[in-house]
Amino acid sequence: MSYIFPKSANKLPLQIIIYVIVLGSILSAATTYYWTNKYSNVGYAPVQPVPFSHALHNGQLGIDCRYCHSNVEKSGHSNIPTSQTCMNCHNQVKTDSPLLAPIRESYASGKPVQWVKIHQVPDYVYFNHSVHVSRGVSCVECHGQINQMDVVHQAKPLSMSFCLDCHRAPEKALRDPSLVTQLDWKHPGGEQGQLEQGTKFKHNWNVKPPQSCSGCHR
Amino acid sequence: MKRKFNHPEKSSAELTGPRYWRSLDELSETPGFQAQVEREFPEGADNLQGVDRRSFFKLMAASFALGGVGLAAGCRRPEQHILPFSKSVDTNIPGLPLYFATSFPLRRQAIPLLAETHEGRPTKLEGNPTYAPHGGASSLLSQASVLELYDPERSSTSTIKGAAVTPAAVQDLLAAIGKEAAANAGAGLAFLAGQSSSPTRAALIAKIKKAYPKAIWSEYEAVQDEAPQAAALATFGKHVKPYYQFAKAKRVVAIDSDFFASESGSIFYAREFSKARRVKKATDPMNRLYAVESNFTLVGSMADHRLRLAASHMTAFAAALAAKVTGDASFEELATGLTFKDQEKWLEACADDLKAHRGECIVVAGSHLPAEAHAIAYAMNVALGNVGKTVDFLAVPADTSASIGELAVAINQGDVKTLVVLGGNPAYDAPADLRFADLLAKVPQVVRYGYYVDETSKLAGAHINAAHYLESWGDARTADGTIVPVQPMIMPLFNGLTELEVLARISGSDVTDSYTLVFNTITALAGGDANEAFRKFLHDGLLAGTAYKVTEVGLSPTTFGALLVEGTKLETLSADNLEVRFTFDHKVDDGRFANNGWLQECPDPITKIAWDNAILISPRLAKELNIDPKGSLLQVARKDLANIEKGIEKAFIGEITVNGVTVRGPLHIQPGLPNYTLILPLGYGRTVSGHVGQDVGFDFYPARTSATLSFVTGAKLVIVPDEYYSLANTQEHWSMEGRALVREGNYEEYQKEPGFAAAIGLEAEAPPIYGDMTPEQLSKLPEEERAKITAERAVAIPRGNSLYKTPEFDGTHQWGMSIDLNTCIGCNACVVACQAENNIPIVGKDQVIRGREMHWIRLDRYYSDGNIDAAAFGGEGNREIPEDPQTSLQPVGCQHCELAPCETVCPVNATVHDEEGLNVMAYNRCIGTRYCANNCPYKVRRFNYFDWNKRRTDELYLGPLGESGMPELVKMVKNPDVTVRMRGVMEKCTYCVQRIEQGKIKQKVKAGASGDVVVPDGSIRTACQQVCPAESIVFGNIKDTESAVSKAKAREQDYALLGYLNIRPRTTYLAKLRNPNEEMPDYASLPLSRKEYNTKNHPGHSEEGAPAAKEEHGHTAINAQTFGGLS
Repeated sequence: MSYIFPKSANKLPLQIIIYVIVLGSILSAATTYYWTNKYSNVGYAPVQPVPFSHALHNGQLGIDCRYCHSNVEKSGHSNIPTSQTCMNCHNQVKTDSPLLAPIRESYASGKPVQWVKIHQVPDYVYFNHSVHVSRGVSCVECHGQINQMDVVHQAKPLSMSFCLDCHRAPEKALRDPSLVTQLDWKHPGGEQGQLEQGTKFKHNWNVKPPQSCSGCHR
Repeated sequence: MKRKFNHPEKSSAELTGPRYWRSLDELSETPGFQAQVEREFPEGADNLQGVDRRSFFKLMAASFALGGVGLAAGCRRPEQHILPFSKSVDTNIPGLPLYFATSFPLRRQAIPLLAETHEGRPTKLEGNPTYAPHGGASSLLSQASVLELYDPERSSTSTIKGAAVTPAAVQDLLAAIGKEAAANAGAGLAFLAGQSSSPTRAALIAKIKKAYPKAIWSEYEAVQDEAPQAAALATFGKHVKPYYQFAKAKRVVAIDSDFFASESGSIFYAREFSKARRVKKATDPMNRLYAVESNFTLVGSMADHRLRLAASHMTAFAAALAAKVTGDASFEELATGLTFKDQEKWLEACADDLKAHRGECIVVAGSHLPAEAHAIAYAMNVALGNVGKTVDFLAVPADTSASIGELAVAINQGDVKTLVVLGGNPAYDAPADLRFADLLAKVPQVVRYGYYVDETSKLAGAHINAAHYLESWGDARTADGTIVPVQPMIMPLFNGLTELEVLARISGSDVTDSYTLVFNTITALAGGDANEAFRKFLHDGLLAGTAYKVTEVGLSPTTFGALLVEGTKLETLSADNLEVRFTFDHKVDDGRFANNGWLQECPDPITKIAWDNAILISPRLAKELNIDPKGSLLQVARKDLANIEKGIEKAFIGEITVNGVTVRGPLHIQPGLPNYTLILPLGYGRTVSGHVGQDVGFDFYPARTSATLSFVTGAKLVIVPDEYYSLANTQEHWSMEGRALVREGNYEEYQKEPGFAAAIGLEAEAPPIYGDMTPEQLSKLPEEERAKITAERAVAIPRGNSLYKTPEFDGTHQWGMSIDLNTCIGCNACVVACQAENNIPIVGKDQVIRGREMHWIRLDRYYSDGNIDAAAFGGEGNREIPEDPQTSLQPVGCQHCELAPCETVCPVNATVHDEEGLNVMAYNRCIGTRYCANNCPYKVRRFNYFDWNKRRTDELYLGPLGESGMPELVKMVKNPDVTVRMRGVMEKCTYCVQRIEQGKIKQKVKAGASGDVVVPDGSIRTACQQVCPAESIVFGNIKDTESAVSKAKAREQDYALLGYLNIRPRTTYLAKLRNPNEEMPDYASLPLSRKEYNTKNHPGHSEEGAPAAKEEHGHTAINAQTFGGLS
């Protein structure tokens, strides 16, 4: 009587074990990678054409975020200022700094400055700035302490779970809308005070952050 | 295999045929059709060509393994840039659209629009609500016109003798023409232009005529969409045009007039008609429509009484009716020879009805009819006292242009040395007897100004690149004469010129830029501060008070009599002496929109044929020609003959000989046509166009001569043996298996029993499946109560025994929609508006044949003929193709079921509910199992079988060998607020979720630190709702009992499609009403579809369907528990 299995089948258990080990290590390597900040780009700080310092302009000089990002309360996009906005001051201040050459050039020629995009969500995510800032979610929640950054880097993962964490518990982030651009502001009552106030705001303002697909994907 | 719903078992009578039928196949319940309704998609839709599933997976396994290797290594995010403006731009906020008033000019009528622009590119057009007669509605063609702007195949450069030239060279050419004309007073110069209502153009023409008195200015339009001026001139001795006030008319007689779609002013007419049609409560009056038709049109589908009559008999019909209405026997002479079934009774009853509504009725004749018919219709309106009440006559400027015939004579005499062809496409669409292509060769210099390089451009020495209207400064008039701006949204993409600029340069004017030309015209008309007036003009999108003045008219007997003196002899039509009626395609018009994919793919509302035209013939003629050998087994027979499967319409090819010319085309058997009239839709068979429009359909222009522009008799039709042609007919796609889909009642019945719709259908015969009341009991409650119950149910959904967890419906709003079938005219505007708003791709004819069309909303067209009697249900007699069907139209998109069957079967939760009652689709989660489409009882889900957006429709199967990627120009038309879907994902109507979210965000921004987040009613409008000229679609928050949608849903005629499945659709329908006249010979006490319904469901009972019958239908009872209903 012939064997049902060929002789090579004897090696099968060993082969399976090796396969499982290889597969397992690929899998763990992949998940480790996809859960790291490297994947979500936290810390991404590209070199910009002009080394604009938020720490200087906002942190030290105290220029409000909305002076440059002027449409953040109206539009889904928070606009990057035009060269003209920069020139409003810089035709008086540091008029011949070599670092500002690209701005002056752009202002003269009409060609845009090529800023590098840092905070990026996928194309199928329709994040809207205006609704967040006008309902009391501070810039700091997603962008971190921009007011202390000389070179802007991505501070938060901006992944879907990051969004949902807040959408599920908005009380951790809600503050008076007049305070949204004060990135150093913390509730004087500490975490407990923030929660209490946030819960109150959530109730009074009828805040129901969408947790279903239609909120962000269209 | 598709999930089958537990439809009740069919009774023996039912087994032999359905009530409604959307195609001849369905009527005959062929085995092929049966197989198709069982399928999830039309057959072939889910088959991969040449590769079966198993071998496909074998192949793919290998490629996945390879792909996996590459996956871990570097899918890094590419560096992206943000490019802000250098200098701040006033009003521009990145991310927010801007709206500008403009208008879509077509012949003498412009449609006022608001163009939505995103960062400087127009993406969507809406009607301008400031123009009250349209109330913000727009049309199918205007919706699709934005696609034309970004057509990669539009003319991109001017050419002289085939070589591309600079704009400067074109300007020199035009100046040279002007100089030469100035030298010899315009001798030898001729223009051929399309019609236009632009005041600036009129001024330029006047200037040219004055400067070059010998020049010929001629105009030609293949389509007549206005009544001939000669008719009004003869009748009243004035240059006037009729303008109808349908809202005031209780009775309407349409003599071959498709005023819903093919007449100038049709948006206004459709809108006003629906006002008189809509009944909200039993005491509301309802209009009545009599339609006499040679073609089956939208007006015919709405008609309460429809008469099929040859186009050549229309004048006689008008005369016969006029004889009855006016009592003037002299009209009778003109009607000699007219015969149709029950003629005396028909005319008598119709005339009596009109006479009973003096001053409240309208007689309207189709613009293609001869002047005599119009004159008679005017006379009737005068006799009925309608003038000044329901019919206004507007003073219009006299048409002083020469005709194309006169131009042809001049060319033949050698009088024309330079011919400037402005727009149009005479080499393709001029009357065949003129042989215009040959004429062009006789003219030494032909300068063609056109948007596409087409048949005429090919024959012209010079082609001047035209700008799209969205790139041009201009002006125009609406149908009522109001002056509206044509405002550019974007700089000309290919340096195109405007028509005004071309004319100004030839005229030798100092001012040649169209902005200044328009500015001068408008400010002169408006008076006051010029800049302020022009600003207001552009802001409002119209110049108030510029409408044509209503003029008092009186019959001028001599000229009227003279016009009617020659009674045309009526020919008796037969299979040997056929009548040919030339019509214009609903979508491509006279052929000018042939390269517009949105329009090509939109199925004709009646024939449901996309990407083609066909010769339409009547069932009777089909029989006589023996292409209908076995009655309604026709399609079976054809399948045998043509050996076809998969529900593709394999049409016989016919050859028509008429006017000494033979043309050929596929034959489509169309119920409801006059027996011996052939309908030849024009506008197809273009030989020089883009790849979308070229060689699509058949060209019937060669059979059309100057004398026979709209119809001709004496045609012969021969069937070409053994030749067939596949038509992309969508009529069998997306069939629903179900009951009482369209519910109809007569107006009288509605007055007695407003809740009649709730008494139809299975849910009426079952114990309550939701709550403790049947729909019928519910319909008896007062309206406020019903609105309250609806609102309560929207949030507190009793899930009963459902195992599936749906989200709590605890959102601030609960969205819902109501569609009024009573006013829906079936114009297809919603289909294309949805396509434009939601980035819906086109798939091409080949894929439509496979049932893969992507439209999120479709218009179902049902026929019913009432000829079913239970005993003879399967008999031969009932298997004839009915010749006089009633038509019911029903737009169907995703119904957003609260207990959606698609959600329960999705393995990856890609389709789920949100807290505001939307059934949402997460494209990124979708893995393309298509289980959801499988399980959808409405068949509204659409699957991306290919990367439609990246591949050309004729290269879909080339795979990696074909070109991939979207042309930059095409990218510009996409709505940035909606994801462009890729291959392998499912999509469907979202209730325009992007608009909902934007509306909510706007409200929340406004609310700021307050709780005022409820969106005001009416501020969010879906694309289909916004475009609808009949205001049939209402959308809003059903949680708010005061919202328009709640009120619509609280009306007694409200019903849910397939309500007995207890899936609780958020879209519900309002039953259709018909208002027949009891005195008419074709009076039916119930709509024919209801008759069929009753005959089938209550055999042996009176046609009213006695309540006693219900007890016998034990099998129809649905166990509420099965569906998780509230017990």
